[in-house]
Amino acid sequence: MTKEFEPLLQRYLDGGISAEEMKVLNSALEADGALRREFVDLLDLDASLGAMARQRETDEDRELVRPDFRAGWKGFVALAASVVVAAVFLWAWQGGSTQSFALVEESTGAKGPAIGLHLKGERIELAEGTVKLRTRPGAELVIEAPAAFRFESPHRLRLEQGRLAADVPPPATGFTVVTPDGEAVDLGTRFGIDVTDRGQSEIHVFEGEVVAHPSGPGDPTSLRGGEAYAMRGIEGGGRELRNAAFIEGDEMSALRAALEAGQRPRAIAATAALRRDAALIALLDFEDGKPDSGVYRSVQGRWPGSRALEFVEAGDHLALDLGGGRDWPQLTLAAWVRLDRLGAPYQSLFHTDGWSGDLPGQVHWMINGDATMRFALRDNLLAPGSDEAFGHPDSRTPVLAERGRWVHLAVTYDADAGVVRFFLNGRFDKETRLALAHPARLGPARIGNWDQQDRKLSGRVDELVLIGRTLADSEIAELFEAGKPYLPSE
Amino acid sequence: MSPTEAERHRAFLRQFTANEAAIRAFVRRLVPARADADDIMQEVSVVLWEKFDSFQAGGWFRPWAFGVARYEVLAWLRDKGRDRLVLSEKAVELLGSEAEASEPRLERQREALEHCIGEVAPAQRNLLLRAYEPGARVASLARESGRSEPGFYQWLYRVRKQLLDCIRRNLAREGWS
Repeated sequence: MTKEFEPLLQRYLDGGISAEEMKVLNSALEADGALRREFVDLLDLDASLGAMARQRETDEDRELVRPDFRAGWKGFVALAASVVVAAVFLWAWQGGSTQSFALVEESTGAKGPAIGLHLKGERIELAEGTVKLRTRPGAELVIEAPAAFRFESPHRLRLEQGRLAADVPPPATGFTVVTPDGEAVDLGTRFGIDVTDRGQSEIHVFEGEVVAHPSGPGDPTSLRGGEAYAMRGIEGGGRELRNAAFIEGDEMSALRAALEAGQRPRAIAATAALRRDAALIALLDFEDGKPDSGVYRSVQGRWPGSRALEFVEAGDHLALDLGGGRDWPQLTLAAWVRLDRLGAPYQSLFHTDGWSGDLPGQVHWMINGDATMRFALRDNLLAPGSDEAFGHPDSRTPVLAERGRWVHLAVTYDADAGVVRFFLNGRFDKETRLALAHPARLGPARIGNWDQQDRKLSGRVDELVLIGRTLADSEIAELFEAGKPYLPSE
Repeated sequence: MSPTEAERHRAFLRQFTANEAAIRAFVRRLVPARADADDIMQEVSVVLWEKFDSFQAGGWFRPWAFGVARYEVLAWLRDKGRDRLVLSEKAVELLGSEAEASEPRLERQREALEHCIGEVAPAQRNLLLRAYEPGARVASLARESGRSEPGFYQWLYRVRKQLLDCIRRNLAREGWS
């Protein structure tokens, strides 16, 4: 009676039915009660098998199928009371924690999931802040807003958007992140996944090995420590590792400790005080929501829900025009940045457009390939006997860590005294003396690149301040102390 | 949370956990893929909770929940299902209206499945359930089991038919049909 429809039912179930066949199937279902019954039985069986498979995965019982599935089905019923209800009924679940997929260990940001919450299959939207989760097998996951995700099992996380850093110990090996563009399967490692709002999924492997399974064309690709890969059709392929794009577990604890200690209001007060400084040229904190001119991504800054600019591709930049039309015999530049350690020759923090012999005093502030800072002014000359190896004032200590961190970079300049002083995280690092020091010349400039030649910056700039006086060491120290997003955690 | 509020939550949770699997199966029967059903269920569970006030105490939770779920499925079909090959609205309406009457039969079939799955050889059973895990990759399962992809789908369909035959034999023996 329904034999003739078997191939159609089969293709419908496999997702391989054609539009013509679907029409035939629909009119047959509308007309024939017996066929509807056949259809319902087959689809219900499909649902039951799905429930069994899910239960089995939850049991971490991949090799053995339990002889009595009745228990499995009931277990599934209890388990499946998940979804949004989990968030509402936290109190009702205390006994169910052994069946959860992951636990919220830390959370910043007012609207994130609560610490101690057990996650099952519910979808979580994270508008601001960062959460640290621990899966039942022990993988540590840190996810930064804006993000949307849900667990499919203790071994699989579906990441629709957001940044995730995973640290997967041996018992949790095989942990899989499902993105809109494919899957990343861990083979024992630390790695990051970035799913942008533009819908491109990148895998960054810090250590160990991850296999990328792009959902589009392209073969599975094995990635080792130091490698990065974009899973996106013909635009996919190798990328430069962005170590600072991801927040890892140890950083998360320090971020939370600072928030709990009230660092954020302190930072806001310090920024407000800076705005009142009579010598202020500009303070860019990117919080007013106004689009700035340039090419960049808008991402989270040091605080939950705050805004920073991120530069990723060569050519990304922010264009400015500040402090033109006059000379600045004294100048301080300071910024909160979170940058990748690229090893490229230069990353541009602040480059005035051009570098011309008829504009002495043009300012180029950058990071060198060895991760020290450079503060170069056009046509300045080093003092006789200077130990600078490259003809410009360079700082001493590398300013970028192996693992990404927010750092505070500052430089003060006094043309009359012929002195450049570098500061890293509020501490004096090095002084360089000049024989010839022109007053600084500002005007049209770029953050993140130079208008003459690519000097790609890779990472985020949260706050950049230009002041027309030389700040004292103690003032730089206070800028850092008031604005720092970390405290040692307990 | 006030005591009455807490009591209301408990009442909902009792009903929802007892019927969640049946509601999920109901949704799954009306959409092309299990993954679609998972997405819709997220929404259904939220709406059920939001509308729990309109559910009369003493009434039957499951038919009420089927009604809510049917509405969500139709909304999904109109929105996400537009460019997919899906059931017609009329077919969904018919299947939906027959669902509550079919539920006793389906419940017995689900119980019989627990027995019948045990009759499938362990290696095959393992392969079958792996194919049903969320996000399973049919291409690699096919390769692993030495089949082409169409061959694997063919095999899946055959196993499902065998299970359905076994289930029906069992129910016939017990006097159900």
